Amino acid sequence: MSKTINVGFIGNPNCGKTTLFNAFTGANLKVANWPGVTVEKKEGYTTYEGEQFKLVDLPGIYSLTSYTMEEKVSRECIMSDEIDVIVDVVDASCLERNLYLTLQLIELGKPVILALNMMDIVEERGMEIDLHRLPEMLGIPAIPVSARKKSGLSVLMHAVSHHADHAIQNPLIHHHHDKQSRHEHNHHTEYAMVYSDALEDKIDVIMDALACSYPTLENPRWHAIKLLEKDESVTAAFPLPDLEKIIDRSYEQEIINQKYDFIEEIIQEILVNKSEKEAFTEKLDHFLTHRIWGLPLFLGIMALVFLLTFTVGDWLKGYFEIFLESFSAAVTSGLTSLHVGDMMISLVVDGIISGVGGILTFLPNIFILFLALAFLEDSGYMARVAFVMDDIMGHLGLSGRAFIPLLLGFGCSVPAVMASRALEHRKDRLKTILITPFMSCSARLPIYVLFSQMFFPKHAMLVSYSMYLLGIIVAITTAFVLSKLDGSKAEHALLIELPEYKSPNARTIAIYVWEKVKDYLTKAGTVIFVASVILWGLLNFGPSGYVTDISNSFGSIIGKAAVPLFAPVGLGYWQIVVALIAGIAAKEVVVSSCSVLFGVQNITTTDGMSTMVATLGALGFGAANAYALMVFCLLYIPCTATIATINREVESKKLTALIIFFQFAVAWVMSFLVYHIGLLF
Amino acid sequence: MQLKQGKDNTTYIVEAMDLELPLERRLEALGLTPGTRITILNNQKRGSMTVKFRGTRFAVGKRIADHITVKEAASHE
Repeated sequence: MSKTINVGFIGNPNCGKTTLFNAFTGANLKVANWPGVTVEKKEGYTTYEGEQFKLVDLPGIYSLTSYTMEEKVSRECIMSDEIDVIVDVVDASCLERNLYLTLQLIELGKPVILALNMMDIVEERGMEIDLHRLPEMLGIPAIPVSARKKSGLSVLMHAVSHHADHAIQNPLIHHHHDKQSRHEHNHHTEYAMVYSDALEDKIDVIMDALACSYPTLENPRWHAIKLLEKDESVTAAFPLPDLEKIIDRSYEQEIINQKYDFIEEIIQEILVNKSEKEAFTEKLDHFLTHRIWGLPLFLGIMALVFLLTFTVGDWLKGYFEIFLESFSAAVTSGLTSLHVGDMMISLVVDGIISGVGGILTFLPNIFILFLALAFLEDSGYMARVAFVMDDIMGHLGLSGRAFIPLLLGFGCSVPAVMASRALEHRKDRLKTILITPFMSCSARLPIYVLFSQMFFPKHAMLVSYSMYLLGIIVAITTAFVLSKLDGSKAEHALLIELPEYKSPNARTIAIYVWEKVKDYLTKAGTVIFVASVILWGLLNFGPSGYVTDISNSFGSIIGKAAVPLFAPVGLGYWQIVVALIAGIAAKEVVVSSCSVLFGVQNITTTDGMSTMVATLGALGFGAANAYALMVFCLLYIPCTATIATINREVESKKLTALIIFFQFAVAWVMSFLVYHIGLLF
Repeated sequence: MQLKQGKDNTTYIVEAMDLELPLERRLEALGLTPGTRITILNNQKRGSMTVKFRGTRFAVGKRIADHITVKEAASHE
C-alpha cells in the first residue's frame, strides 16, 4: 500500500470547486471547522489506480494575501505538510480573473495542477482555449474537466499522482515576443511569472540575504516576493534588518499589476474565440439591475416563487394527504387484527403517523420553494439581488450583501445564519444573525398553511403571504432601530462579483434540492419522530401512570403552568402552549403537536380541519387567536438547529441567550398587538 | 474625478484610491490597482453601481466608488 497523497482543492468563489470536489468524494466526506475560526473545512477520500488520495476542500478565495480569515486559513494549510499537491480549480470561461490566484499558487513552490473547470460552458459559448500553449506558459499541467458532466476526473487524479513528487516544476521556456529580458539572470528559464528587471534585482538580493539568514528555507523566491509586498506574517517571521534600502516600501501594487499584465499576455495567446455570451448578460442586467425596474422585478420574481410554492405545492400535497389517510387507516386495522394493545396503536397512529406523516405532507411545498431558490442561485441572479437591495439595506445600516442571508432565510435559517459569514464586519454579522430568523423559513410554512386554511379559508394564500411580509418588516425595523441605536456610520461597503448568467444546470439543482429534501426527511425521521414520541408520552402519561384523559397528563400540567404568560397574546390554551414548546425542537412540530394534542387525526385534510376548527372554536379560539398564533410562530425562538448554529457563529453563549430572549420578546409583543387589534374587528 | 461621477459604458483608468487599508487590499487582490482600466456598466442609481474590470463584473457600493479617483481613458483604446 503506497502512502496517501494529500490534495488541496483551491479556487475562486463561483468556479465550481465544490461541485468538482463532490464529484470525487461523493457524499463520503467529513465537514468540520478549521481550528479556531468559523470557516468550513471539508475532507474526503478518493482512489485512483490503487492509490489513495485525501482531498481537502479549501475556502473559495481570490488571492493568497492574508487579509481575510479564508485567505489566512488557505495559505497556512497549503504551506503546511498537510498538502502535497495543489489542485487549482479555475473557471475556464473566466480565466482572466481566475489565473491571478494560479500565479500566486505557482509561486508557492508546491506542485500545482490546473483543473480547467466548466469546459462545457467554454464550448457552449464557442470559445476555444489553446490547451497546449497554456501549460507551456504556466509551467504546470492543465487538465480540462467538467465537474457537472463528471468528465476529465480520472485524468486529473492521474496528473496529481504523477506530479506529487515534483516539488519544483520543470520550467518550460516560452518566448515573450518583444519583451526580451535584459536581466543578468534570465529568469524566464526558471519561473513562469517573471517581474520587471527592477523588481527581479530586488528579489535576487533578498533571496541571497534569506539564504544567509535562513539556510533551510524551502522557497526563498516566494518569501522574497512576500517581503517586497511587506506581507505582515512573512515580515514578522523572517526579519531581514539590513535590507531596508531594498525593501524601502511595499511593492505590492507593482507585483499585482505585473501579474495581471502577464495574465493578459496569456489570454491573448491562448483564447482563440472570445465569448459572445457577454452581450447576453449585459442585456439581461440592463433590466434586472435597472435603476427603477430592478426592484419591482425582484419583488415580482419572489412573488412568483411563493405563488408556485403555494399553488403547485398544495396541488401535490392533496395526493400526499389521500395516501396518508388510507395509510393510517390501513395501519390501524392491521394492528387491530394483530391484536396489538390500544396503547401501542395509539403510539403508532396518534403519535408517530400523525406526527411524522403530517410533516411529510408539506414536502411538496418545501420541494418547490427550494427548487426556485436553487434556480435563482445557480443562474447567477442572487448576486444581483445584493446590488438591487443595497440602497435599501444601506438605510438600515447593512450592506446589500446582507440581503443574501436574509433571502436564504426563506428556505432555512441554518444555512442563512451561516451565510452571514460573508460579511466582513462583526457588527454587521451580528445584526444579520439577529434578524435572519425573522425571515419565515420553510418549516414555518406548514403552520401558516394549516391555520390560514382553517380560519381564513377564502384568503388563505393572502394570510400566509402576510406572514412573510410581516417577517420582513420586523427584520427591517429591528435593523433600522439598531443602526440608529449604535449611531455609528455604517461600515459596510458593497463589493460583490456579478457572475455571468448561465442556464441553470439540472444536475446542480437536483443535487441542491435533493440535499434539502433529504435534510427535511431526515428531520422528519429523527427530530420530529422523537419529538412526536416524547410528546405522545407526555400526553398519555401523568402522575398516575397511563392516562386516557389528556387533561390529567404531564403535558397538560406543564402547559397549564405557562398559560398565564400566553393568555395576554390570545394563546392561553395549554394545548397551544405545549405545541409551541415542542415547536422549539423544529417548527413543523407545532402542526404535528396540534394534531396529537387535540386528538385530530390527519389534521391537514378537509375533514381533519373542520374537526379542528370545531374543537378550537368550542374553546373560544377564533380567527384573531389563529392570526396571533401564526405571528408568534413566525417570530419566536428559532428551532434547536438554528440556535446551535447561532451559538457557533457568534461564539458566545451569553450573546446567543440574548438573541433568543430578544426574539421571544418580539414575538410576544407583536402577537399581543396583533391579537388585540384583531379583536376589534 | 471620482468613479461615482462616471458615465455608463465608459472606460476609465484608476488614478488613486483613498480607502481604509483592508478594503484597499481587497480591491487590489481583485486586480483593481492604479492604472487599471475600469468600465462603468450601470451608474444610474444614487447608491451602488456595477462596473467591470479585469474581465469580471462587480457591484460596488457608493462608499467605495466615492473614494476611487479615475480619469477617462483615451477613446481610441
